[in-house]
Amino acid sequence: MFKNYLKIAWRNLLKNKGYSLINVGGLALGMAVTLIIGLWIQDELSYNSYFKNKDKIAQVFQSQTFNGETGTGPAIPRPLEKALRDGYGDNFKYLIMCSWTNDHYLKYGEKSISRPGNYMQREGPELFGLEVIKGEKDGLREVNSIMLSESTAEALFGNEDPIGKTVTVSNEHKLNVSAIYKDIPFNNSFNDTEYIIPWDMYVANNEWIRNAEDSWGNNSFQMFVQLVDNTSFEKVTNTIKDVKKTLNEDSAEFNPQIFLFPMKDWHLRSNFENGKQVGGRIKYVWLFGIIGAFVLLLACINFMNLSTARSEKRAKEVGIRKSIGSQRGQLIYQFLSESFLVVVFAFFMALLIVLFSLNGFNDLARKEIGFPWSNASFWLLSFAFVIFTSLLAGSYPALYLSSFRPVDVLKGTFKTGRYAGLPRKILVVLQFTVSVAFIIGTVIVMQQINFAKNRPVGYDKEGLIQIPTFSQDFNGKYDLMRTEFIGSGAVVEMSTSSSPTTQIWSNRSGFVWEGKPEGFQEDLAWTEVSPEYAKSLNLKIMEGRDFSRDYATDSLAVLINETAKKYLGMENPVGQLLRDDDEEDPNPPLKIIGVVQDMITQSPYEPVKQGVYVYDRYNNGSYYNLRLNPNQSATQNLEIVENVFKEHFPDIPFEYEFVDDQYGEKFAAEERIGRLSGIFTALAILISCLGLFGLTSFVAEQRTKEIGVRKVLGASVFNVWNMLSKDFLKLVIISCFIAVPIAYYIMNGWLQEYPYRVILKWWIFALAMAGAMLVTVLTVSFQAIKAARANPVKSLRTE
Amino acid sequence: MLLQLKNVFKWVNTGGQRIFLLKDINLEVEEGEFISVMGPSGSGKSTLLNVIGMLDTFDEGEYHFLDESVHTLKEKYRSNLYKEYIGFVFQSYHLLDDLTVAENLEMPLLYKKVKGSERKALVADILDRFNIVGKKDLFPSQLSGGQQQLVGVARALIASPKLILADEPTGNLNSQQSEEIMELFKKLNKEDGVTIIQVTHSEKNAAYGSRVINLLDGRKV
Repeated sequence: MFKNYLKIAWRNLLKNKGYSLINVGGLALGMAVTLIIGLWIQDELSYNSYFKNKDKIAQVFQSQTFNGETGTGPAIPRPLEKALRDGYGDNFKYLIMCSWTNDHYLKYGEKSISRPGNYMQREGPELFGLEVIKGEKDGLREVNSIMLSESTAEALFGNEDPIGKTVTVSNEHKLNVSAIYKDIPFNNSFNDTEYIIPWDMYVANNEWIRNAEDSWGNNSFQMFVQLVDNTSFEKVTNTIKDVKKTLNEDSAEFNPQIFLFPMKDWHLRSNFENGKQVGGRIKYVWLFGIIGAFVLLLACINFMNLSTARSEKRAKEVGIRKSIGSQRGQLIYQFLSESFLVVVFAFFMALLIVLFSLNGFNDLARKEIGFPWSNASFWLLSFAFVIFTSLLAGSYPALYLSSFRPVDVLKGTFKTGRYAGLPRKILVVLQFTVSVAFIIGTVIVMQQINFAKNRPVGYDKEGLIQIPTFSQDFNGKYDLMRTEFIGSGAVVEMSTSSSPTTQIWSNRSGFVWEGKPEGFQEDLAWTEVSPEYAKSLNLKIMEGRDFSRDYATDSLAVLINETAKKYLGMENPVGQLLRDDDEEDPNPPLKIIGVVQDMITQSPYEPVKQGVYVYDRYNNGSYYNLRLNPNQSATQNLEIVENVFKEHFPDIPFEYEFVDDQYGEKFAAEERIGRLSGIFTALAILISCLGLFGLTSFVAEQRTKEIGVRKVLGASVFNVWNMLSKDFLKLVIISCFIAVPIAYYIMNGWLQEYPYRVILKWWIFALAMAGAMLVTVLTVSFQAIKAARANPVKSLRTE
Repeated sequence: MLLQLKNVFKWVNTGGQRIFLLKDINLEVEEGEFISVMGPSGSGKSTLLNVIGMLDTFDEGEYHFLDESVHTLKEKYRSNLYKEYIGFVFQSYHLLDDLTVAENLEMPLLYKKVKGSERKALVADILDRFNIVGKKDLFPSQLSGGQQQLVGVARALIASPKLILADEPTGNLNSQQSEEIMELFKKLNKEDGVTIIQVTHSEKNAAYGSRVINLLDGRKV
C-alpha cells in the first residue's frame, strides 16, 4: 500500500514539475537553514565539552560593590588561595592558580614565534584533563619546564622531537619541554592556550606577584577548582562566599562575595548585572533557534498552501478513491506519505546545501563546525526532523483533502467554497508577518551597528599602529626607539601606554581630592602613558595643557578625560590634586594639568568611562603607539618600521596591529549577528516569495477562463494585473500591520541593553513595509502579467 | 432480498424553503435483478443511486442492505460494507489519470487489503476477461472513451461485488461503444448473477434491464 502511495506521489511530483520544484526547493532551503542553525546551536551548547570533568569544574569569581554598583569578575587576590586551601580544602579535588592568557615569545634555535599561553599550578593539566600525547603527564613538576600544544610544538620544532629541548620564553627564561598535549579544540574557553608554564616560574620572575602574596586588594589572578564528588557548586559557594570579607576587614566595605562559576555557564551565561547572573550568549542561542523554527514554518506553509490550492485537481482522485472503498484514514495516510516523500527529497537537497555552505557559514559565524557524518545521534535526530517536518507540512493538507465528499467531487460540480481559501490566506499573512518582522529586526540591528560605528572615537585611529612591548628587552629603550622611529621618516609621533588604545587594563581607587563627597568610592580607568600620548593619538586637549618634557614636575602630573571631570565634580580641574588616601605611607599626590577629550576605550555602545592618564615614570609601557607618516604609503612605512625594529630587537618577532582594525573588533559580535540574521531574513523572504509565486501561478491558472472572458469584454492588461495582485497585496498589508508592533516591541527591548543606542524612527518600519510590498508586487506581477497578456481566444477555446 | 429502501426522504433547505430531492422512496431489489432508473434531469436519479451506493446520506427513512441497517451504521462500517459488495461505474469513467490501467484495476483490491500475489492474479484475470491485456501499462489518457469505460467496468467488477451501480455508463460514448458496454452488463447479469442498477436516459439501454423505475421530482411514478 505504502509503495502504491509513493508511486502516485512520485508521478504527481513529475507531472507538476514547477510546483514540485517550488515545494521541494522551498522546503530544502528551510530545512537547510534549520539544519545549519541546529548545528550552530549544538556547537554552542557543546562548548567546553572537551573537558571531561566539565560538570565539576568552576572558576572562582568575585563580586564587589562600589557606590552601590556591584561588579562581578574572575579576578581574585592571591591570599584567597591559601585561605581556601587551608580552610575549605576538602571541598576541592583540585584547586589551581592561573595567570591570564598572554602572548609571549617562544624561541628555539633560530625560530622565534609569538603565541598565547598560561601559567598554571601543577595540577592544572590534570584538572582540565588535557590529553598528553608525548612526554610526562605531570608536565609542570619541574619549575623550569613548559608544556606545549601539538601545533605549537610543530611550529617550533618541525619534525624534531621536542621533549627535553630548551625553549627560550620572552627572551630570558630557558625552559625544558616536558610534554606535548593535543590541541584544545576551537569551541573551548582555553582554545588559545598554546603552552603552559609552571605557576612558580611566574611568581619567581615577577616581583609584583611576590608582593601580591598577602595583598587582598590586588585582584589580578585567576583560580580554577574541581569539586570532590559528593558536593555541589551551590553548597561550596555558600560556605566560601564571605571568606575574603572575614579575613580582610579593609575589604568589607566593598562586600566582596566569592563564588564558584560553573564551567557549563562560562560560555552561554556569563553576564552579570549587579552581582546576579543574567544570561549572556544563551539569548543568541534562543534567537537563532526561534529564527530556525520560523524559517522551517515558512517553508512548511508553502507546502500547505500549494497542496491545498491544488485541491481541486486532487479532489477527483479523492472522490474516486472513496467510492472505491478508501476510508478517510487511508487517504490521510496517503497524503502524509506524499509529504514524507517530498520532505525526504528536500532533506537530501538540504544536506547538499548545508555541505556547500558550511564553510562560508563558519567564516561568517567564526566557528569551526564540521559536518557530523559519523554521528549516529545526528542521523537519528535528522530522521525525527524529517518525520516532524512531514507532519507539520502534511497534516493540514491531508486533513483538508481527505475531507471531500465523493458525491460532490464526482458530480463535477465541485468548487471550493467562498471561504475555502481562508486558511490559506491566514497562512500567507503569517508568512509575511514573520518576514516583515525579520526585515525590521535586521534593519534595526544594522542601524545600531552603524550608529555606534559613526560615534566619534575621540582620537584619530587611522594610520595609527601599536606594537606590543611585553618583553623585558624593551625596558628603558623608549626614548631611543622614539628618536630612531621618527628619524626614519616613517613615523611622525610615537608614545607608549600601559594598555592598548582600545582597552582599559587597569582601574584605580583610593584617592582624595577637594570636594570629594563623604563615602564616595571612586573607580578610575588608569593608563600610564609617555608624555607624547595625546600628540601621537591626536587627542584634543580641552582644558589646561598636555604633558611636557620641559617641566620636571610633570612626572607627577596627570591628564583626565572630560567624563572624569564631571565624575570628580571639578569645576576647574586644572591645578587640582589627587592625593593618596593611605595615611601611613602615601604615594606623592598627582596634579591635574589638563583635560583631554573623551575617547572610546571600551564598548562603543556604552558611555566613556572616567579615566586618568598618568605620566609613565618608569618608561615601560605595554605598547608603542606609532603615528605613521601620512605622506607615505602604509606598506612603505611598515617596511621601514620593521627594519628599525629588527635592528634593535633582532630576537623578537615584529608584530603590529592597526588601531582601527582593533577598534573594528568591538563590532565583530554584533556584526556577526547582523550579517547572519540578514542572511536568514533574505532566505525567509525568498521562501515566502517562492510560495507566493506558486500560489499566484495557481490562481492565474485557475482563473484563466475568467481572465479570458474579461479580456474579451475589454479588460486591459493593467485591469487584470490589478485584479490578480490586489488580493495578495491586501494580505501583505495586513501582515505589515501585525508585524510592526511585534517587531517594535522586540527590537526596542533588544536596544535597551545598549546605553548608547539608535532611536527607532518610523521610517524604518515604513521602509520595511514598502520593501515587503514591493517584493510582493514583483513576485505576483510576473505571473499576473503573463496571465493577463495571454490570448483570450486560446484560453477560451480550451474549455 | 439484496436491499430495501423504506420511506426514504432527502431534502435541502434553500432560502427557508425545503426542496425534496427524494420523496418517500420505497424500493426492494432482489439479487440478480437488472434495474434501470429513468427520469428527466433533476428528477433524483443520481441521488437515489448515490444513496443506494452509500456515498450520500438521506434525511428520513430506512435502508437495509443484506439485513444491515445502513442508516444506523457508522461511516467506517458503511464503507466496509460497500467496498465489499458494491462496485461503481461512472459516466465520465473516473479513472485515476496518474495510474496505469493495471494499477487502476488493482486499487480496489488494495483497499480491501488483498495480498500481493492474489492481487496480481485477479488483475491478470480481469484483463484477460475484458480483452485488454495489451493495454495494461497504458495510462487512461491513452485510451478511447469506450476503452476507458471498459476499464471502469472492469475496476467495478474486480472485487466481485454483488451489486453494480452505474450512473449513465454510456453517456459519454458513441452508439457502438454503448452497445458493447450494455451487452457486457447483460452478460454479467445473466452469467455471473451480478445485480445491476443503472441510471439512463436511453429507452434502448433501459430495455436491457428487467425492470424500470421512473422518477419525477424525487418521487417514484
